[in-house]
Amino acid sequence: MLTSFNWLAERLDLSQHSLDELSDLLTFAGIEVEGIQEKGLSTNLVVVAQIKEATQHPDADRLKICQVDAGTESLHQIVCGAQNYQIGDKVPCALPGAVLPGNWEIKKGKLRGVESGGMLCGADEIGLPKDNDGLMILPPDSVVGTPLKELYANDTIIEIEVTPNRPDLLSHSGMARELGALAKLQLSLPTIPSPAPQETSSFIQNDSPERCPFYSAIRISGAKVNESPEWLRTKLESIGLRPINSVVDITNYVLHEMGQPLHAFDAAKINQGIQIRLASEGEKIKALDENEYLLQSDDLIIADQAGKAHAIAGVMGGFDSGVTNETTDLILESAYFAPSEIRRTSRRLILSSDSSYRFERGVDPKGVLAGSALAVKLICELTGGKVEPTTLISGEVPTVTQPVELDHARLAQLMDHSISLEEAEAILTSLGLSKINPTTWDIPSYRGDLQRHVDLVEEIARVHGLNNVPSRLLGSYSEENDIDRAYDAQMSMRRQLASLGFYEAQTIKLISDTQLHDCLPLRPLQEGDVIRVSLPLSEDHAVMRPSLTPGLITVAERNACQGASSLRFFEMGRTFRNAGGGKAKDLETDTLAILMAGDRRPSDWHGKKTTPIDLYDLKGVIASILPQSSIQLAPRQREGFVLSADILANGKPIGIFARLSPSRCRELSFETPVCLAELDLKKLQQLRTGIDQVEELPQFPGSSRDIAMEAPADLENAQIEKAILKANQAILESYYCFDLFTDPSGEKLAVDRKSIAYSLTYRSPDRTLKGKEVDEVHAKILEHLQKTLPISYR
Amino acid sequence: MTEELAAIQTEALTAIAAAHDDRTLDEARVTFLGKKGRLTVASSCMKDLPKEEKPAMGQALNETRQTITAALENKTEELQSQADAKLLAGIDLTMPGYCLPAGGLHPLTLIRDRAIQILRRLGFSLAEGPEIETEFHCFDALNTPADHPARNEKDTFYFDSGKLLRTHTSSVQIRTMEKAKQMPIRIIAPGSAYRRDEIDATHLSVFNQLEGLYVDKDVRLSDLKGTLEYFFQSLFGEKTEIRFRPHFFPFTEPSFEIDIKLHVKGHEPKWIEVAGCGMVDPAVFSSMSLRRGDETLLPEKVTGFAFGMGLDRLAMIEWGIRDIRRLIENDTRFLSQFA
Repeated sequence: MLTSFNWLAERLDLSQHSLDELSDLLTFAGIEVEGIQEKGLSTNLVVVAQIKEATQHPDADRLKICQVDAGTESLHQIVCGAQNYQIGDKVPCALPGAVLPGNWEIKKGKLRGVESGGMLCGADEIGLPKDNDGLMILPPDSVVGTPLKELYANDTIIEIEVTPNRPDLLSHSGMARELGALAKLQLSLPTIPSPAPQETSSFIQNDSPERCPFYSAIRISGAKVNESPEWLRTKLESIGLRPINSVVDITNYVLHEMGQPLHAFDAAKINQGIQIRLASEGEKIKALDENEYLLQSDDLIIADQAGKAHAIAGVMGGFDSGVTNETTDLILESAYFAPSEIRRTSRRLILSSDSSYRFERGVDPKGVLAGSALAVKLICELTGGKVEPTTLISGEVPTVTQPVELDHARLAQLMDHSISLEEAEAILTSLGLSKINPTTWDIPSYRGDLQRHVDLVEEIARVHGLNNVPSRLLGSYSEENDIDRAYDAQMSMRRQLASLGFYEAQTIKLISDTQLHDCLPLRPLQEGDVIRVSLPLSEDHAVMRPSLTPGLITVAERNACQGASSLRFFEMGRTFRNAGGGKAKDLETDTLAILMAGDRRPSDWHGKKTTPIDLYDLKGVIASILPQSSIQLAPRQREGFVLSADILANGKPIGIFARLSPSRCRELSFETPVCLAELDLKKLQQLRTGIDQVEELPQFPGSSRDIAMEAPADLENAQIEKAILKANQAILESYYCFDLFTDPSGEKLAVDRKSIAYSLTYRSPDRTLKGKEVDEVHAKILEHLQKTLPISYR
Repeated sequence: MTEELAAIQTEALTAIAAAHDDRTLDEARVTFLGKKGRLTVASSCMKDLPKEEKPAMGQALNETRQTITAALENKTEELQSQADAKLLAGIDLTMPGYCLPAGGLHPLTLIRDRAIQILRRLGFSLAEGPEIETEFHCFDALNTPADHPARNEKDTFYFDSGKLLRTHTSSVQIRTMEKAKQMPIRIIAPGSAYRRDEIDATHLSVFNQLEGLYVDKDVRLSDLKGTLEYFFQSLFGEKTEIRFRPHFFPFTEPSFEIDIKLHVKGHEPKWIEVAGCGMVDPAVFSSMSLRRGDETLLPEKVTGFAFGMGLDRLAMIEWGIRDIRRLIENDTRFLSQFA
């Protein structure tokens, strides 16, 4: 909300306070000052000048050379581009040396070769509201040479954010009242004439008393509507409003003075009487903003009794019955509308006005008749209109406040005894509350937000300030729960992955439909599994991610584009899907995804050419985060991927593994394989609980023997390992594959054959094995392999 | 004989001295001490010597052998150290080390973990709740009226089911209070929240918050103040200036916004908002008591405070990140700075 300092200063003596002090006072009472803007001129060098002569510039069609009288001895020659003046007009003239708003200094100079000693100004150039595209034309009686700052007072505009619970601050009187309480200043509010006698009349037909508990209308006839006087225009302009005519300006003034929105109808346009009713579905109204609005049966309107809609109640008046300079008779509306419904209509129509802003937050019920009384007085004064002796009304002004109990003991406890009861009561009194009995307080009608003990506590706390409350720091024991344990487990995995050379990514949880193809969820997606937001911001963020892989693929693509050659990322976070294909229960699971692509290691001077990673790199990473488990991949087809497989730990599935399909890689311009895994974090956590007891180190030396064999290319390692174990030799402690050779050219080895070698370690827990003994056992294994597998030894 | 020994020794020493590698040294050893080496041959003449000359000659032979052996050993050592030195020569210590794959944690993880560790020291445990929430948990139970500005499809993501993406982590307060078995409740809940904001330099539609809640029978404003002062001074340094500005939130009363004074080199220090907080509104306790059907959380029995802050914002403040989008781009040129 924009607040004029000059306007406030009419209500309070602010001479003893700097702007910064006032700003702090408001800020620490919970009223946020968002900006402070100086308006108007401080220089004496912008003066009233009269244009005496204007001739065409020889070199520029759009420029004229003006001779102006600025009250000095000689005329000033000024080159000017404006077109909207006539010889003899009085305009603002900035003389050389003047500094205009925006720190713009006016200097003597030449424009297209012609000397120009100053500038003729438009209103906006000297910090006044812009009224046209050209020069500001001053009233003819302005005295040449008078500094503009004497004619148009400086002002400071304070932009204030008022929280939704404080509609009472949405006016200058309301803000002055609050500042007066905070700074302990005397208020001088405008004198409100006592309202005229009220009469319930059939002129007002209220079909919707719940939505409009109270409506008043007062007729004024014989008004001469024209331009408002300067004091009124200045006030409205100061807070950014455009003066329209005296009646409209007065209603706007009352709104910003007292917070009560009013509306004036041209009485000639109102057929029979006023009807307050819900709109019929599809009813249309052209509002004052000249837009046509399509109404629904939930929108309250003010219509005439012949059926025509004249206002969207509390939001905006109708264009056709608006007050113009031709209006002579008018009907002034002042009402109380139910806040929630005004908000609903305003929001649905995307039409917010100063009126709706106040009604939807709740206006002061006592301000309804007071506001209209002040407006009537001003309208009669400024237009010469005659007011009817009674105000026509329908309904009763609602009561929105009731006495509130203040629990002294609870107040003292909450404030930690930092304020005495006397001080607390003084705060409430200063805010306009009055004590009915030692614990009960009467609430002023404009403070509908004060309903409970705690609301009074808030008032005391905010005025007292948290600065004046002590600090207390009490720790207490709390038990570690499953979420703590899961968090710690995840952090340790994150750190491990980081130290294995992976960057942690965090991507947006909303993805696009096309990204669904990049998903590698633990279970394949079925019809209805995907969760979509109803109204996405864009197609890119329309679906809740069912998997982390699309995000990682995007991250890899982005980094590849900027030249990264080694792409190693992981992300841990929530994935979303409907459980079991379209059932109502939404399922959110924390998962881990890992992506590897590009160079195995960053290139350096080591001389060895870096090689691209392959799936065994990723399999190795998974094995190293689960060192206690045996990791296997069990092929399982996933659309859009190749080499896809379930990841098994000790035979149980914990995730899914795949390479991005070659065609998708080409689409994304990846030149090397992109390997992906998505893993169930809960299962990882269970597998990473560490060991129960250490294993003693062997006391006797072991002995190794190698096996090198030639085998069909499609004989899997798992089959060979299985056969090694099947040989069932007790002293075989461990084995590993240490070499694999294939020759795609077929020169050294047939293309359908491979050479594969294992190292086996033998050990006995209770003695040193003899060489011969080992040889014999090893021979048995060789024999077993040869018997059971299609292999030969080299 | 003696002369011959002297000659062998001289020649041997010369040959050893002249040896320039293991091979030539070994040749010298074989030439003089080998099976058919000259000293071996010479010693075989011993048997022909008269008995009385034998001891003296034996001693002379031994001495010669020892001298040559010693020379050989010295030379071996010398050659070895020359070879060792040669291996070390020319190593350029200024060459860069070999590259290992670099990795690191995301800045949001880092700041979140620091925040969690600080609050755990005060006895806060972690809590969580779903991100796809009901209107009840996100709004109704938090004393947010049905016509509140946030409750519409313009600002909040809704689903056809009527559920929504939580607009704040405050819904975890409700999730926690619903099922809390005993007092006190002292929880923190890091997590994502969503608003229908177009993504730009200062806004994300999905952002990260940290929620806190403390409920017990005698929680005071001074607890709120002490806890949050401790938190921000632990996070940003013990000299951090903090102020509490009264504010309005539907689910706390009184409510405050917290500002810290930000010092950036070359700029005037300025107050910036970092968190919202307040005493839990009794209406929230009433709604929870109704839901639970017991008296544990009756507003007459308990008080509490709650706070919420944007982790993205804290990260931006901590590391001077100007564009919030850096946090979701995951560019390694950015991420590597936090490694």
